[in-house]
Amino acid sequence: MKQKLASEFTSVVDAIEQHLVGKREAITLMLAAYFAGGHVLLEDIPGVGKTTLAKSFARVMGLDFGRIQFTSDLLPSDIVGVSYFSQKEGDFFLRKGAIFSQFLLADEINRAMPKTQSALLEAMEEHHVTIDGASYVLPEPFFVIGTQNPHEEVGTFPLPHSQLDRFLCSFGIGYPDKAAERRVLLGLEITAQQSDTPLISPERIENLMQQAREVVMRDAMLDYLQDVIALTRESGWFDYGLSTRGALALSAMLKSWAMLHGRDYATPDDLQAVAPAVCSHRLRFSEGVTTAERIHAILFSNTRSDA
Amino acid sequence: MRFLPISRFIETSPLRLLDGACLLVMLPLLLVIKVPMLLYMLLVFSLLFFRKRATGLTLFLTALAGVLALFLSLYGAFNFSGLSRLKLFVELLIYLLVIAVSLQRLTREINFYLIISPILLMALSLFFFHSISMLLYVLVEIFVLLWLILLHRMDGHVSQSLRMAALYFVSSLPWVVLLFLFFPRISFEHAAYGFRGDEVRRMGHDGTMYLDSKALLVPSERIVMEVSFAQRLPAADQLYFRGSLLYVDRGDHWEPLPRRLTQNSKPVFESAEQLSIYNITLYPTQKRWLYLLDLPYEAPKGATIDADFMTTVPEKIDTVQHYEATSSLRYRYGRATSPAVVEAASRIDVRRNPRSYALAQQIAQRYPDMQQRADAMAERFRAQALRYTLQPKPLDLHHSVDSFLFDKREGYCVHFAASFVLFARMAGVPARVITGYKGDLANSVKNYLIIKEKDAHAWAELLIDGAWQRVETTAFASKVSADRGTQSSQDDADTQGSLLLKKINLYLMYIKYEIETWILHYSHFRQMQLLEEARKNPGFLLKFLLAIVLLLLLVIVAIRVLRRPSCSDRVLCTMRPLLAALRKQGYEREDGETMHAFLCRYLDDFPQCREIAEIDRLYERIRYGGEDTTGAHLRLQEEIRLATIRSGRA
Repeated sequence: MKQKLASEFTSVVDAIEQHLVGKREAITLMLAAYFAGGHVLLEDIPGVGKTTLAKSFARVMGLDFGRIQFTSDLLPSDIVGVSYFSQKEGDFFLRKGAIFSQFLLADEINRAMPKTQSALLEAMEEHHVTIDGASYVLPEPFFVIGTQNPHEEVGTFPLPHSQLDRFLCSFGIGYPDKAAERRVLLGLEITAQQSDTPLISPERIENLMQQAREVVMRDAMLDYLQDVIALTRESGWFDYGLSTRGALALSAMLKSWAMLHGRDYATPDDLQAVAPAVCSHRLRFSEGVTTAERIHAILFSNTRSDA
Repeated sequence: MRFLPISRFIETSPLRLLDGACLLVMLPLLLVIKVPMLLYMLLVFSLLFFRKRATGLTLFLTALAGVLALFLSLYGAFNFSGLSRLKLFVELLIYLLVIAVSLQRLTREINFYLIISPILLMALSLFFFHSISMLLYVLVEIFVLLWLILLHRMDGHVSQSLRMAALYFVSSLPWVVLLFLFFPRISFEHAAYGFRGDEVRRMGHDGTMYLDSKALLVPSERIVMEVSFAQRLPAADQLYFRGSLLYVDRGDHWEPLPRRLTQNSKPVFESAEQLSIYNITLYPTQKRWLYLLDLPYEAPKGATIDADFMTTVPEKIDTVQHYEATSSLRYRYGRATSPAVVEAASRIDVRRNPRSYALAQQIAQRYPDMQQRADAMAERFRAQALRYTLQPKPLDLHHSVDSFLFDKREGYCVHFAASFVLFARMAGVPARVITGYKGDLANSVKNYLIIKEKDAHAWAELLIDGAWQRVETTAFASKVSADRGTQSSQDDADTQGSLLLKKINLYLMYIKYEIETWILHYSHFRQMQLLEEARKNPGFLLKFLLAIVLLLLLVIVAIRVLRRPSCSDRVLCTMRPLLAALRKQGYEREDGETMHAFLCRYLDDFPQCREIAEIDRLYERIRYGGEDTTGAHLRLQEEIRLATIRSGRA
């Protein structure tokens, strides 16, 4: 798939790519999810750059960065914060948790207990938290990157399907290719590390999010999108089809993708680019393993954008 | 064409597909299969319906039930000599196949044998049915079987498999036609069976002729035979189809000559001109006569013509017969008539009709010349003011001629013919009654003629100066009765509307006849006839080749239509030439590849092709960007034109 990024975002992607060589697609997906106002689940083995991606992303976008390392003894209050009584002041005060940041990295999310997981996931959905009966609004835009290692099983609490649905998209980063790896091995990519300054202003971010929402899907595009959605539901390949929330996620994501590529209308290529990321944690094949590649192959070899 | 996932797939369990195929081919066979076997099939069906697990015991009992059903179905015919009858043998085969298919189906396992069984059953059903309805049904069967196979191979992709089935079906048409016409055929007496009930026994003319009230004629519209002439239809007064000849007056009815007088006699022509060749389809009569146009010149295969030119076959006709015959329309014969026959044709009982006898004698004495005498007799009959009616008052059968000629003065063909023959004999002219059918031109299209039961007719033949001459005796009637039966048979009161309907009906009959002749009963003989015609007549050959070319063209068009799904969108139509040009260069769009991805792939190989990049941009803007303006379309068209020119050069 060859789609050209709009020039405004080329610099952003370039800046992040300095830290994560050769992973433009993952970076672009991350950007798209961000401008679509959703959250991202990074699923991959440790050490391929999940944290690096998150950190450099936050830095380039100029977001205030919070991080929680999930462990089995993590409590909900560790995430959202706690209200405590100050004897000096004689009143309750709130100590805000890490969730009160514009950009939250929730590392190894599947290591925490379900109660803790759901505290985070609810906050992600609602964009506010409730502590001791008082409601606190989270900073906007609020963006969570959850990571999890799909291969670790001992001591983990796998996220149920309903919770996974809260993430707009999910993808892995994968190993770097040979050339990129060589650069990493030579230590070339570290040079520019500290010189990062925000490339996009908060106002511009607001603006771009609005722009992403305003991308148009014409009839031809909607037909195609609906064909794909119907295929997930009726073909019998999947245990269950895409929910309406899933469908909305798909449309939000592809619109954002279209915006990143400098268009105010969406095309089938946008859908094909984002569908595996949006669907891979929402669909499960009735038979065989569920991989992003397989989802892409099945969804798009059985539907036609035009003929 | 958009392939909507919603209706695209159906569940294609191979067993279900096979069930469908079996059901399809079994439908016509249900008419053949006897009740015990039907019950057995019901049993198997209910076992399948209730999803009974096929244990060894179930299978054993089912097999036992099958053998029992087989035994009961063929009870009475169940011996080895019976099996030499083809139909019985085929029936047995079907039963065995049904049992075997049932057992295999109960195991829920598919084997090769189960897969081919629908085709076997279809082939076997052809032994029983030869009608046009079956022809159409077989076409449907072939198409559906083909479709089911493709449906299976294409994982239940309904629209695609239907399209492919249609494609295969259409592309096979020219080969089917050529093979059908030219594949060497075994010359084989064609056995016609037809759907049950298709061939009810046709009444009509019968070996004797009754004059009493029992002989009330029912003007039936039932078709006795269909005739198609090689050349033009003969004139209306030549359409006499000769059946049997009657000599012996028994008062209330007439009988033919005793067998011994006609046996081993040969027909002798003195002259035969104006030959007419024609094909006849005769429906079962349960009699031994074939009806041939006066005067049969050459008998159909297997039939014999006797000295009276009566054509018979050795067995009663209980299946549809197709025969070709030649007749002479201008002929002279009679000198070779044996004295015994002349004697039989002159025998009268003078005491029974004294008044007529006196009159006949009078005429005989006044006209010694035979021809004049015959004319005078006809004149006399005409002078009697006889009335033609299908519902006459009964005659006094002891004095039938007197009663007819002087008292009742009415009747229909048999009365006219019988009276005139007796009258001629009384005047000393040997005469006989001929029964058969007289064709009605109202029932003809082009060179095709239908003979209905109501066309049954009787006329007279007089031996004048050593030549038998036909006399149309009903022509002596001076008026036609106005009663309903007679009128309707004369078709006088037909309104414009019913005339049109009749015409349409006749045309349909004609088409049916042509299909039967050239498809259902296409034979070695027809094949030879066709080849002969092609050899003799270059015009025909040219026409034939043209027809084949036309058919090929039609098929090509159909294939193009089927292969290229019509574009649902204007912009897709615009893109077509480009896609075709790229295809020529070896760039085919892959499954699920978007237009953009496809064009990018091409651009990777030909980066200098700026038009393609522009086309990509325009296409996207028109189809997805809402820029669906004529201007944009025109620009796209122009770019495509340039790109195709460039790719043509490349």
